[in-house]
Amino acid sequence: MTHSTSRLKLALLSATLACGVALAPLSAAVAASEAVFVFPNSHNGAPTLNPVKTTLDTLAHELIYDRLIEQDADQTYHPHLAESWESSPDGMLWTFKLRQGVTFHDGEPFNAKTIAWWIPKFAGTDNDYLVAAVDKVEIVDDYTVRFVMKHPDANLLYNLASGFMGVPSPKAYEAAGDTYGVTVAVGTGPYKLDHFTTGVETLLIRNEDYKWGSELAANRGKAHIEKLLLREIVDEAASYLELKTGGVDMVVDVPNALLSQYKSVKDVETKALPSYGIFYMPINTSAEPFTDLKVRKATALAVNQEEIVSRLYRGVGKPAHTFLISSLPESKINPQFEIRHDLRQANQLLDEAGWKKGPNGIREKDGKPLTVKLWTQGDTEFKRMTEVIQAQLKAIGMNGEIGVFDVSSIRDQYKKNQHQLAVRSYGWNNADILDWFLSAERQGYPNVSMWKDPKGEELRKAALTGSKTTEERIANFKIYHEYVLSQYPVVPIYEPDRTLAYNKTRLTVPEKIRGPKFTAASIIDTKVND
Amino acid sequence: MSLSLKTQGAATLRLLGKPFGGIGGAICGAGLGLFIFVALFAPLLAPYAYDAQDLARIGLPPSAENWFGTDEFGRDVLSRVIYGARISLSVGLTAVALSASAGILIGALCGYFGGRFDRITMAAIDLTWCFPEILLALVLVAILGPGLNSTVIAIAVAYLAQFTRLTRTQVRALKGETFVEVSRCLGAGHAHILLRHLLPNALAPVIVVAMLTTGDAILLEATLGFFGMGAQPPTPSWGAMMSSGSAQLFNAPWVVIIPGLFVALSVIFINVYGDAILAALDVKNRIRRA
Amino acid sequence: MADYVLRRILALIPVFFFVTVVVFMIVHLVPGDPIDNLVRIGVTPEQKALIAARYGLDQPLYLQYWRWLTLVLQGDFGSAIVLRRPVMDLIRENIGYSLTLGGLALCFSALVGITTGAIAAAWRNTLVDKSIMGVVLLGSTVPAFWLGLLLILLFAVTLGWLPVSGAKHWTALILPVVTVGLGGMALVARVTRVSMMDIGRQDFVTLLHAKGVPAWAVQVRHVLRHALIPVVTLLSLRIGLIVGGSVTVEYVFARPGIGSLLIRALGQRDYPVVQGCLLMLAMAVMIGTLLGDLVQAAMDPRQREESR
Repeated sequence: MTHSTSRLKLALLSATLACGVALAPLSAAVAASEAVFVFPNSHNGAPTLNPVKTTLDTLAHELIYDRLIEQDADQTYHPHLAESWESSPDGMLWTFKLRQGVTFHDGEPFNAKTIAWWIPKFAGTDNDYLVAAVDKVEIVDDYTVRFVMKHPDANLLYNLASGFMGVPSPKAYEAAGDTYGVTVAVGTGPYKLDHFTTGVETLLIRNEDYKWGSELAANRGKAHIEKLLLREIVDEAASYLELKTGGVDMVVDVPNALLSQYKSVKDVETKALPSYGIFYMPINTSAEPFTDLKVRKATALAVNQEEIVSRLYRGVGKPAHTFLISSLPESKINPQFEIRHDLRQANQLLDEAGWKKGPNGIREKDGKPLTVKLWTQGDTEFKRMTEVIQAQLKAIGMNGEIGVFDVSSIRDQYKKNQHQLAVRSYGWNNADILDWFLSAERQGYPNVSMWKDPKGEELRKAALTGSKTTEERIANFKIYHEYVLSQYPVVPIYEPDRTLAYNKTRLTVPEKIRGPKFTAASIIDTKVND
Repeated sequence: MSLSLKTQGAATLRLLGKPFGGIGGAICGAGLGLFIFVALFAPLLAPYAYDAQDLARIGLPPSAENWFGTDEFGRDVLSRVIYGARISLSVGLTAVALSASAGILIGALCGYFGGRFDRITMAAIDLTWCFPEILLALVLVAILGPGLNSTVIAIAVAYLAQFTRLTRTQVRALKGETFVEVSRCLGAGHAHILLRHLLPNALAPVIVVAMLTTGDAILLEATLGFFGMGAQPPTPSWGAMMSSGSAQLFNAPWVVIIPGLFVALSVIFINVYGDAILAALDVKNRIRRA
Repeated sequence: MADYVLRRILALIPVFFFVTVVVFMIVHLVPGDPIDNLVRIGVTPEQKALIAARYGLDQPLYLQYWRWLTLVLQGDFGSAIVLRRPVMDLIRENIGYSLTLGGLALCFSALVGITTGAIAAAWRNTLVDKSIMGVVLLGSTVPAFWLGLLLILLFAVTLGWLPVSGAKHWTALILPVVTVGLGGMALVARVTRVSMMDIGRQDFVTLLHAKGVPAWAVQVRHVLRHALIPVVTLLSLRIGLIVGGSVTVEYVFARPGIGSLLIRALGQRDYPVVQGCLLMLAMAVMIGTLLGDLVQAAMDPRQREESR
């Protein structure tokens, strides 16, 4: 606490005392095994708890439902409702052995029939791509199913481990119809739904019969916390204050900008979670002057990732030199393709490209100044980073004019191809994100770079649909990833750390967080202190 | 809708006494003058450039070097507040000038000609009263795209109805006066009557209301800035400064508190000085007559 | 009077249609569409087109408007696209929060405003008057979100007396109510003060004093009662703002409500929700204005004649 803040607080304090208001201090104490968590900001506003139809999977989905397969922080796969699995060498048949003795919250049994009913439910929904490669599901015996594939899908395990693949109770699902996921949500997970209000909160009650925890959790039985209230708070500062004042017990996913503040609070403990995304700058390859590879490369080399991490984020998080998060094997590429800050080379490239320094430090070519649009979306974190990028681009004589849009407006601008540079981020832990943002089939949005390159397309298709096994897929995506970076349609900037903050006098959180994010396995192991 | 919240707001003006007349008015006038001076000569007065980042000096508390501390990019808050005066005052003034000019034009035409033209135009303009100003402005900025120009237009639209109504009422009241009748009998055309007789007499209260609305417009600009609309970074506006500072409210509260104080001060200066002028010119009686 | 009321209500019908057109157009003029907020990584352009067709977003605007209007006339606001629920349900879930906050804030404005205004008038032109009116002026000139942030800093963080955000407990209402209420309070206090001073100058007050009625009784029983007429008018006109007047404050205090719902839906371009909320707000203002006019007409018959 600095000197002047305490003075300010003193002044504020005396002002209040002068008002003569006397209110009993609020006690934040909740009964022993209850806890209040704040949702990660990216989970806010999920419209439904129906895993088949939702477009946003949240912590609540993870707790109400179990998945066939779980993914760990190192991106490896582990059995859950599926005890084991194997695929045929051509990738056309997948056989899953299911766990026995699992029941839904409504008492219904979980077995092969459940899966045969469940997979076809995805047809026609927004999530159908997850199992689009599955032609049909065959019941081998009560606890064995076989997926017959339309074509090999090296990504099937990843999809099955995603939050959308929580298995709902067929009986409850059919009975509730359109209201399923809003008023009722029945799974086999460690928590039952008490109530759910979109954008406000979800109250969960412990499933007393739970004894099929995955191997990611130390506790395979029922959870320690009896009642779990998950709150949605949009304002990041408000979440911080709630934790600080004891209004909540845990904030899942703390913004990096506020981390030092969280750390300074007594009783608050922070814990690093596996990272889950990248901040990056797409370069519109179809807009002058970025049609010139040299200008793109110079722009990329102007970005100083290390400075952003050390100064703006005070050492929290990692500089990003590739387009994929560092826990993915596809991010381990030949270092010569990594994009690293090099001011001298950047300036040299612009000189070569004919952009000469003008009188005010801004480069010019044919009498036109090197002024470009540098756009971003309205959230604080984006604006902060964009302002720093603007200052870094100035060092190579490029004048970036910032434009701040809301998320929907900026997408519209991308589709109309009005943009040049933008600062964006994504959260995803699979290499197929390269396809999503750089496929020539999706120019405008999500291919904000407007990148269309015949060789790139060839490599992309080979990686996405030409791979039969996981190893082959990794190798193919590495080649594609390297080629992408060599053409500079995107500049990786920052891989944020994700951090959990909790009140250590109230909660004990497992030492090691398993899973790609803070999820059911870790919550089952979390205890409320006496 | 014959009556509305905002004319009522304007009409309460006539009820204002003068607890702040005299010396208060003079002080606020001087304060306003000082703000305008600072805004005009910002480059000479600001100790640093408003966009000079120093990432090694993030979030420093007020000191001899940085009187108002530094912000989340290590920029000098005092310098940004000084430049921010430019943005906030000029956005407030231009928006109100735009709104008042359009309102006077439409209001005068409606009041003078009356009839179906009047009814339809006024019905359309009154629609803006159906939505809270801030929501109307937020939606308009979303339509027009980011930037100061759209902020100005959005604020102007939010206050358009108030100026139109006021001018229309004035013109309608004056239209029946003898000197207008005489002028008409002498063969004066519509334009002559409107420009030479009606508007000059109708304008005084509109100008005073415009002055007081400038305070509201500055508040609205600050609120839009808080929602991330308006001035684009690194251009400082007081609202935008509070918006980006709010994430740091608890370890660098000066980044939020100081611009907020300046918003409040400028609005107080404008309101009190406006009241003082109102009292001095005795326009209140004219408003009352209308 | 009954005739007047009927006329005023009938006059609202064309306004209502006008409002529906404006609300619909304004929402569709905002660039962007809801589809990208619906789909997830991996969706093909063909799948996106299918989704757009499912919600009728591929049809011409006038057809979409017509479909929406016919629904609205049947009392149905349609189904949210991104939030995937009937808009009516969403509004029903949120409107209670807005009404509580707006209603309590209005009561706060009225009670505190009238009290402070009356005190200032009773001790007019003294230090009491000047300091009260000074504080009141301050309350109406600070940005609401700024005031909210400072109140949080003081009462929730430094002192720890009140919760920071949310709507779980009644104590979470105190700070938002004060934040919203202060702006209206300033107006009420100023009007009360001036109105009481006007009435105080009238002959009947002098007469009461001459008859030996105690000064406080004159002020409270007679002057204040008469002075409240413009205050009541002012308050009735603010009824329409109860629902939509606290968007920024809802945001700062992370409170649910129509304002928060609207801002979120606008960000996601969830057209039916934005349309429904805007229409609700407009109707609240229309009804509030109508009530205000009726109150005024009841108190001052000339008003009825003027609007003919």
